[in-house]
Amino acid sequence: MKIQVAIILLEVLLIILALAVYLVATIVQLFKINAGLNVVLPAVGEIVAKTAPVNGVLDAINKNLVTARDALEGLHLKKAGADAAGLVESVFPGEGANFLRRVGKSGKVVNVGTVYTRGVGILASLGRGAPIGAAHTKGPAVRDPKYSTTAASMLYPRPGGARARPKSPVVGREPAHSPYEAAQTPGERPRDPSGGAVEPGAAPQAPPTGGGDVQKQPEAAPPAPAPERITSAKGTRPWEQAPPAPPPSGGGSDGQKQPEAAPPEAPPTSAPGRITTAKGTRPWER
Amino acid sequence: MDPDLALWLMVIILAVVIPVVVVLLIGVLKAASSIPPKIDAIAGVAAAASKDLDAVVVLLTTQNYISQITGSVLNYGGSLNVALPDY
Repeated sequence: MKIQVAIILLEVLLIILALAVYLVATIVQLFKINAGLNVVLPAVGEIVAKTAPVNGVLDAINKNLVTARDALEGLHLKKAGADAAGLVESVFPGEGANFLRRVGKSGKVVNVGTVYTRGVGILASLGRGAPIGAAHTKGPAVRDPKYSTTAASMLYPRPGGARARPKSPVVGREPAHSPYEAAQTPGERPRDPSGGAVEPGAAPQAPPTGGGDVQKQPEAAPPAPAPERITSAKGTRPWEQAPPAPPPSGGGSDGQKQPEAAPPEAPPTSAPGRITTAKGTRPWER
Repeated sequence: MDPDLALWLMVIILAVVIPVVVVLLIGVLKAASSIPPKIDAIAGVAAAASKDLDAVVVLLTTQNYISQITGSVLNYGGSLNVALPDY
């Protein structure tokens, strides 16, 4: 055999050996890839399954929101009129033009919030004859910064000024507002307090002031108070009308009976013509 | 052609081919070896994403709420339509 043939055989052998080694290693890596993909695929399938209803749900949500937005924008356009885009622009800068495009209108969007404060602008635009956009957008605000409510009221023409408002009727002042019917016999009592019929010529009785116990008190003939003293419920108490008695001599043990005992003999507070109270009858006050 | 010369030529060609083949095989092996770690990472991310998507079911509740809120807002708008004067 020639040496050239031997070398060729050796080189071919090396090539086959290299192919075998590296291809086997590559095959091993491919098996690993296959195993990894087997792990990944179920998780991806779960993702696909879980996200499948999202489109439908989001479409339904979007449909609801678009319906509400269209309805509210239509209402806003109906109530605010030509200033609707300006109001939208004042609240959401840049949305006024989009609002106009959505409602199928065109024109220049005047930012109402630049002319008025937000509340005044909204109130004025919802009212009638509001001079929205009357002032320049770069000029001062058309409102009184100190009395903004008055400024808002001044936007509306009202006879008598901004403060002239109709007063609410007071119930009971006028006959038309009285909740009671007019008496057919005013000032006459057909029956006395006990239920008996009153004769037409009899003198009118004093109206009762309370319950049955109170009505019997005038028959008991209470003692007439001293002319100088003030007659009142307070003056009928024993310590206020009984004659002065000798004060009990000292002793702290009979302190409980002191309120029932006679008032002090002549305390400065029990002088005739003055109102005496229980406070002046106590020993430590004498 | 001289047979000896042809044999020597074959020897030279094979000597050049051998390193080229080896380099190519090394590249294929390196590329194949770089794939499994990435697949493992993808598997972890996919599992986490699948777990995160469990909250998608709540979208049904959200859809119900939004439907109710939309109805309330439309009713409110209807009331405003009656209460406020037109422009």
